[in-house]
Amino acid sequence: MNCGEWEERIALHAGCDLPPMEAAAVDRHVAECAACQALLSGLRQTAGLLREAHSEPVESAHYAAVRARVLSELAGRQRPRWAYALLAAAAMLLLVAVWPKARRVVVTPRPQPVPVAQALMPPVSAFSGADPLGAPSGPGTPWVRRPRPAASGVTRKGGPGGPPRTRGSAPPLQQVEPSSPPEPLVVKLITDDPDVVIYWISEGKGE
Amino acid sequence: MKALAFLAMANPAGGSDAGSDASARAIAAARTGDLVAFETLMRQHERLVLVTALRLLGNMEDAKDASQEVFLRLYRNLGKVGASGNFPAWLYRVTVNVCYDMGRKRTASIPVEDAPDLAAPGADPHQSAAGTERQRVLHMSLRMLSAKERAALVLRDLEGLSTGEVAQALGSSEATVRSQISQARVKVKDFVERYFRRRI
Repeated sequence: MNCGEWEERIALHAGCDLPPMEAAAVDRHVAECAACQALLSGLRQTAGLLREAHSEPVESAHYAAVRARVLSELAGRQRPRWAYALLAAAAMLLLVAVWPKARRVVVTPRPQPVPVAQALMPPVSAFSGADPLGAPSGPGTPWVRRPRPAASGVTRKGGPGGPPRTRGSAPPLQQVEPSSPPEPLVVKLITDDPDVVIYWISEGKGE
Repeated sequence: MKALAFLAMANPAGGSDAGSDASARAIAAARTGDLVAFETLMRQHERLVLVTALRLLGNMEDAKDASQEVFLRLYRNLGKVGASGNFPAWLYRVTVNVCYDMGRKRTASIPVEDAPDLAAPGADPHQSAAGTERQRVLHMSLRMLSAKERAALVLRDLEGLSTGEVAQALGSSEATVRSQISQARVKVKDFVERYFRRRI
């Protein structure tokens, strides 16, 4: 009898992998064939020995070693994320520290283009005997620096009571009196001719 | 109490469900970067991964390397794993694939005919029949198989998966897996019988 065709089914039957109908057919054949009976017996015995040989438990130290290696690797990968988070936090702190100054710069209105002569001229109080450079008249009065003129290529030629001023020098300080009514604006225009000086006095609403 | 006992008997797979729930919770937590949760997940499945890798690769150091790689792949794919229904099947598949990759880098499978040369020289035939020698031969018998035959046999006969589960884990059809399993069983039996016959 050629039993080669039974080998695969017998091997499957040894591991209970055949459906009942096929299993019954194999059992019938094995009952009549000594060689196939030995094959089935040998397969079952080997499977049992194999399971037994591989049933030894693995030492817990091996599991712990794997876990430690994996966690170490993952922790190493997560480190850059922390570094990025730290950098981001530092950047935020820096931004918060710098922001008020930056806002002051941005919010401050750009100085209106003022005629050079106006910027160089003392306020109208100069004509009433006050310090031509706008020195405070008394203690406790606030001082602000006037915005620098947008363009000034003209050298002041010795105004009344003051030394000549040149471009780039600090603009004069001006006393601010918030509660006082607006004073008339006086503009002194200096021409190329040193003998010709034009005064323009505006008595509008502060303009 | 009686109701609980009845439920426990009616659902013998209840432990498995609890295990899968625990895995699902650990996966969800680990997905947020929680390494403690991921360690819990590893503890739940480390036997499956390490023992399978050991059976497929044949030595502990390689098995540990393979297990490490499996868990790193698991970490990278936590999102996909959560979506897939059968987490152990996914783990078996990845473990087998990692072991395939490692096996390719090492020596190919050893022909059965050359196997007796691997036996310990001068081993006593009487001792060979028992204990350590027999275990060594049985472990060696798996190395005589091709990678796919070995994987099919290990998952079916040693891990106890059904033929369908083995097919799912190996990405093969059930018919292919059954063929691989039957061939592997016959080869292992022949190897073991031939070995001991020659030694005696």
